[in-house]
Amino acid sequence: MKTALQQGLRTGAVFGIVIVFMALIGFTVTGPILLAKILGNAPKPEQMPAVSYLVLFLALTGVWCGAKASTPGRYSGARSLSASLAAGAAAGAISGLIVAIYAWIMGGVDARGTDLRPYLAQVSPAAVKLFLFQLGLPAAALAHLGLLVASSLGGALLAHLLRAVQFGRRVLGGLSVRTARVVQQARRFPYAIYVVYAVLAVLLIMLPRAWGSYWNYIIGTVGLYVILGLGLNIIVGMAGQLVLGYVAFFAIGAYTMALLTAPQPHALGWNFWLVLLLGLLLAALTGILLGLPILRLRGDYLAIVTLGFGEIIRIMLRSDLLTPITAGPKGVRDVMLPSIFGYSLASDVNFLYLILIFVVIFVFITARLQNSRTGRAWVAIREDEIAARASGINTFQSKLLALAIGAAFAGLAGALFASRNQFTGPEDHSLMVSINVLALAIVGGLNSIPGIILGSFALKGLPEILRELEDYRLLVFGALLVVMMILRPEGLWPASRPNLENHSQAAEPAAEKTAAAVKAEGD
Amino acid sequence: MTICLETQKVSKIFGGLTAVDQVDLTVKEQSIASIIGPNGAGKTTLFNCISGFYKPERGQVLFYGKPIQGLSTDVIAHLGIARTYQNIRLFANMTALENVLIGQYPHLRSTWVDAIVRHPRFVREERESIEEAKRLLRYVDLAGMGDNLARNLPYGAQRRLEIARALANKPKLLLLDEPTAGMNPQETEEMTRFIQNLRDSLGITILLIEHDMRVVMGISEQITVLDYGVKIAEGTPREIQSNARVIEAYLGPGAAKLSERFRREKRGPQVHEHA
Repeated sequence: MKTALQQGLRTGAVFGIVIVFMALIGFTVTGPILLAKILGNAPKPEQMPAVSYLVLFLALTGVWCGAKASTPGRYSGARSLSASLAAGAAAGAISGLIVAIYAWIMGGVDARGTDLRPYLAQVSPAAVKLFLFQLGLPAAALAHLGLLVASSLGGALLAHLLRAVQFGRRVLGGLSVRTARVVQQARRFPYAIYVVYAVLAVLLIMLPRAWGSYWNYIIGTVGLYVILGLGLNIIVGMAGQLVLGYVAFFAIGAYTMALLTAPQPHALGWNFWLVLLLGLLLAALTGILLGLPILRLRGDYLAIVTLGFGEIIRIMLRSDLLTPITAGPKGVRDVMLPSIFGYSLASDVNFLYLILIFVVIFVFITARLQNSRTGRAWVAIREDEIAARASGINTFQSKLLALAIGAAFAGLAGALFASRNQFTGPEDHSLMVSINVLALAIVGGLNSIPGIILGSFALKGLPEILRELEDYRLLVFGALLVVMMILRPEGLWPASRPNLENHSQAAEPAAEKTAAAVKAEGD
Repeated sequence: MTICLETQKVSKIFGGLTAVDQVDLTVKEQSIASIIGPNGAGKTTLFNCISGFYKPERGQVLFYGKPIQGLSTDVIAHLGIARTYQNIRLFANMTALENVLIGQYPHLRSTWVDAIVRHPRFVREERESIEEAKRLLRYVDLAGMGDNLARNLPYGAQRRLEIARALANKPKLLLLDEPTAGMNPQETEEMTRFIQNLRDSLGITILLIEHDMRVVMGISEQITVLDYGVKIAEGTPREIQSNARVIEAYLGPGAAKLSERFRREKRGPQVHEHA
């Protein structure tokens, strides 16, 4: 009982502070708007949502708080109903108290007519009034307290009941067993994978026609980031070289395309496909030239030097000195769109096809490199560079090759990017691009191709879909990374090493033998 | 008999410390030689000079008469010197079989372009190298465990895997840095027999660092003793056992006299009986 109460107080304090924080950053407005949208009742733009949605939003938070407070830790035993409810009540009371105090302060400030927006951009008088449920002062504070205590108690009760029937465990356990069985059966049927490929191919061909240009644009962006992610994965994931200036190669591809095809500033008008190839080659060459001096560095030093390189490229592109060549800060407009034998690929559907074709090509290349002598050498360098060298790998050459191939991917993605937007400027190539690409590879799962595709969707696709959360993108991003590192430290879809020993013949008996052997040796 | 490895007055200096001081060492082809000495005597430093991790400040390292000091580690590996490490250095997140495949790296020819286009050369080489790796895993008694990640293998298996990786290099000279460290007597016994078998069946020259005297005295044909970076003795196990300087290096000054007395007392009655 005592531990339950303590846990309740702790959880309540955390949730109370979180709610105050959400109010300060304006999430107590955005959250209810999202809820209203989900329930098909969206308010007009620039308008506050109805009070009932705020109540629902806070109640849901309270339920979560109560459930969290009443759930015993992993190492403590089961908890009685009264202990659970006590924990829930304590959590509700504490969080309610914190929120009520906040409401009281805000109410006072608002009554005096002080505008807090110079300091807290999201705390407008309207938002404060909404947070006070459009009520007067003592009533609003009491309402907050009552709402949180009630919802928290409800959450505690709910969590207790669910624990009693072990709902969660049974459902999740059954699910994982079932998926495992499906995967196992699929393995036994070697052609299943081709069926999956065929379905994917049909989807990729059909969907762009059905989606409309907005979706095609988003998916195209995701596709470009998949290419970038695969390229960076070769450098960071396989060869283990932390290169943070990856955007530089992207910029080189984009500017090659822009400067050689756009009417301004050079009016060269070269052939699109030639320039595409040239962008790829130039990026690879830059990778080699950059790698020659810096690949002797390791870890943090390499990261910092490459970070600087990325910034140097961006600053050079916008410098006054180079304006006659690079068009300076205003960027290059009217970059050429692709056409093939006089047939224009300018429409969004055709351009998406073009991107998807390259995605497929690069996925294919990465997959083949992964399980080759070269790919294994990269992974060996990542694992232990000294031991790799003592095994006869020329680590310098290997790392240079990884950098060149990775850079080539980025060069091509950049060229496509410039052509698709028909524009590129220095600000398209900021440090954020490098960080995004690195983050998507880590979130998805380093070294795992499906992981990187998943990561691109999660980090580039989702933010486009959840436009309402635009202001919180970085916040959500940080939270997502923290949660990921706790729950799935190896990424959404972690990589696995190939089973080369028992590849074809009689996989299962051998696997059992392995397990037995490991066990025997362990004893 | 051909000389496999020779160091001539090799010195390695770290700042003010001379870790290896003008060491001469000669290892005959297809022999088992050992380097012993107290902790910090410079044994591993000498190994690192041979395998190219360090460039000695002075002196020469000759491998089959060819100077190799100052060459980079991967080139030395190509020439045919493979090694294991005092604290195991496997590629922890790769499978055991992949570790052995990495060992074969210098002997494989297919390039990254071959891999992308699935050139027949790549396919054939991949198949053959996997077969070879399986054979090596069987040889070190790790058959069936090739698909486990190296870090998940038990300690003894990791030691053997390290040797398998070194053997995949097809070395002429194998440097083993404390191959029985952390093993119980039975495992030590097995490892000793394994090393002897390596030389007998594969004809590889073996140079090892070892602290376990039973192993050293049991299998070495020649022992070199280092102390404070200086070679203080060299000879057969029997010669080393009775060498006064060696005993003092291990047990402190005066120990040689004590040991001599101990030996005489122990031998005394026996001599009596025979007489």
